[in-house]
Amino acid sequence: MTRTAVLAMAEGAVAGLVLVVALVVAVAAWWLGAATERRRQRAVLADSVRRLELDEPTGPDDGPEPLVAVLERAVRDLRSEGELSAHARGRLQEAMDALPQAVLIVDASGELVERNAAAETFVAARHADALVEAAVAELLDAALKGEAASRTIDLFGPPRRVLVVTTTPLGPEGAGTAVAVVDDITERRRLEAVRTDFVANISHELKTPVGAIGLLAETLEAEDDPEVVERLALRIQNEALRVGRTIEDLLDLSRIELGEVSVPEPVEVGRIVDEAVARIRPAAEQAGITVTASVPDALVVAGDRRQLTSALSNLLDNAVKYSDRGGSVEVDAVGRDDEVVLTVADHGIGIPSRDIERVFERFYRVDQARSRETGGTGLGLAIVRHVVANHHGSVEVDSRLGEGSTFTLVLPAAPAPTSGEVRDDEPAAGAPAPTSSPPIPERL
Amino acid sequence: MAEQRKTFHQELDEIRDEIVQLAALVSEFIPRGTELLLANDMRGALSLIEADDEIDALTLRIEEQCYHVLALQQPMASDLRSIVTAVWLTGELERSGDLMVNVAKAARRIYGANLDPRLRGLIERMSEEAARLMKLAIDAYVERNASLGAALDDIDDTLDQLHRDYIEAIFESHADHHLGLQPAVQLALIGRYYERIGDHAVNIGQRVQYMVTGWLPEQTGAARLRARADGEVDEGDTSSP
Repeated sequence: MTRTAVLAMAEGAVAGLVLVVALVVAVAAWWLGAATERRRQRAVLADSVRRLELDEPTGPDDGPEPLVAVLERAVRDLRSEGELSAHARGRLQEAMDALPQAVLIVDASGELVERNAAAETFVAARHADALVEAAVAELLDAALKGEAASRTIDLFGPPRRVLVVTTTPLGPEGAGTAVAVVDDITERRRLEAVRTDFVANISHELKTPVGAIGLLAETLEAEDDPEVVERLALRIQNEALRVGRTIEDLLDLSRIELGEVSVPEPVEVGRIVDEAVARIRPAAEQAGITVTASVPDALVVAGDRRQLTSALSNLLDNAVKYSDRGGSVEVDAVGRDDEVVLTVADHGIGIPSRDIERVFERFYRVDQARSRETGGTGLGLAIVRHVVANHHGSVEVDSRLGEGSTFTLVLPAAPAPTSGEVRDDEPAAGAPAPTSSPPIPERL
Repeated sequence: MAEQRKTFHQELDEIRDEIVQLAALVSEFIPRGTELLLANDMRGALSLIEADDEIDALTLRIEEQCYHVLALQQPMASDLRSIVTAVWLTGELERSGDLMVNVAKAARRIYGANLDPRLRGLIERMSEEAARLMKLAIDAYVERNASLGAALDDIDDTLDQLHRDYIEAIFESHADHHLGLQPAVQLALIGRYYERIGDHAVNIGQRVQYMVTGWLPEQTGAARLRARADGEVDEGDTSSP
């Protein structure tokens, strides 16, 4: 081997060594760098974990992975909690929307932050609702200053409404929010009026004739003139009849109120109309009022003949009473789908619109003086309403002062007639035929 | 600048909301006044007359707000028309409220008069019609609905017809000796008050048209006058030798 060759080999070995050393240094440097980077990452993550007040992982201090796992778990928990709270919030909103009262919540600056479905009416409202909106805003202002407040608002409509706005401060004074609740108490008010008026009216209706009878009897006792005695006796008789009628109607009403029609039987509308018309005819003729009826033959309802005749008679009685001499009263019936629509129309004095909703109450009178004159008991329309309710029907009134009233009874039609009592099998809505035939006598 | 425009539009919205509130107060006055008139409710009459102060106060507040916006902002075109319309509307609404105060005062003057059912029925119907017109007028204003605003003039025909029937019914009732001369005159005035409320609603409709389109009904008359004047000038020219 030459020297040159040995030298070349040695150079090669040195170069190889240098290369190996360089490689080792490079690897060591990379390893050191990576370890530093992991430590730095770990420090940053550990800082985050501490700031978020999460539990730090225990175990060997060997990299960021355990910390990443802690953070991942925290994010997962948070997300599921968020979902839960969104769900709870949705449920709460649904519950709020189901409330009949309007609920509005404002933040400390007076900005509306929550409201339920019923409150939609009072946001950017128009007409009467705008007045409620203004009252809500005003009372919420007071509530934000820490004062609970309440106001009753009477709206003349139509329809007439009574609303109560109540506001309550929430949270600490000055920094808190406030809630407003708007409650519609129209129906409650109406029922209160019905109750108080009923007690006053019933005592009046019963006490007046009894008091009159007592006084008349007292006068009679000291009276010798046969003419005066006769007059007084006649008046006592009249008053006794009056109180008798009231008691009879009350008993009728309580019987009808007791419940439904136990076994509904097919009742021909034509026959009950004939019967009711025949009953009213003498009074109508005396008052110079024509009563006409137009009922198609085949109309049949399921129900109680006696109750239905009583209801119709009461309507006709009113129609005749509140018509002027020379007027007319029309009874009509038509079949519509599976219903029978019965109308009694007069052209008399009519009902003021503010009384319309109350005429079906017991003893409610639109005009006390006139009712006394005509001798009604004040129970007729209450009877009508209960009869109709027993038959699962409805009754409505359409009236104009000075133009007359139309009462509409809607009763469910009887199922296809099978009994021999029914005149024929024609469809319900046949051509109307005037029924002026004499009434068929019937138990009553 | 963007912030400033936002405030300006907020102010316009506030003015609109207050007009709606004023109109609601006035619209409530109509059935309320009618009810007290038909029920001879003197306490109700007094409370309505006193409640008119609220309408006056709100009217003043809206007007001041409008002048404030005119003085401090520089509204142009449709914004300017909105404010001018608001000022007009407060006048129309305030006047309608006063008319119902007149009804309440007339109710006090005819206290105890026996009104026959037909007259009562017609009063109820005139009241309902006047309230309906007022509500439609406000709908037109809030919705910026120029066609509805323009239609009010024709819708008002029903109220005018009711008013004619009502006057006739007063004559009949008076001729039948059911109604004295004094209450008959008061009742005729009451009918006129309802009819005037209808006219105010029609005016509001026209102002809404102006707000949306910039057109005023008076422009038709003014154009006719101009046309006549031009015609006369032309005739004058042709007839001169």
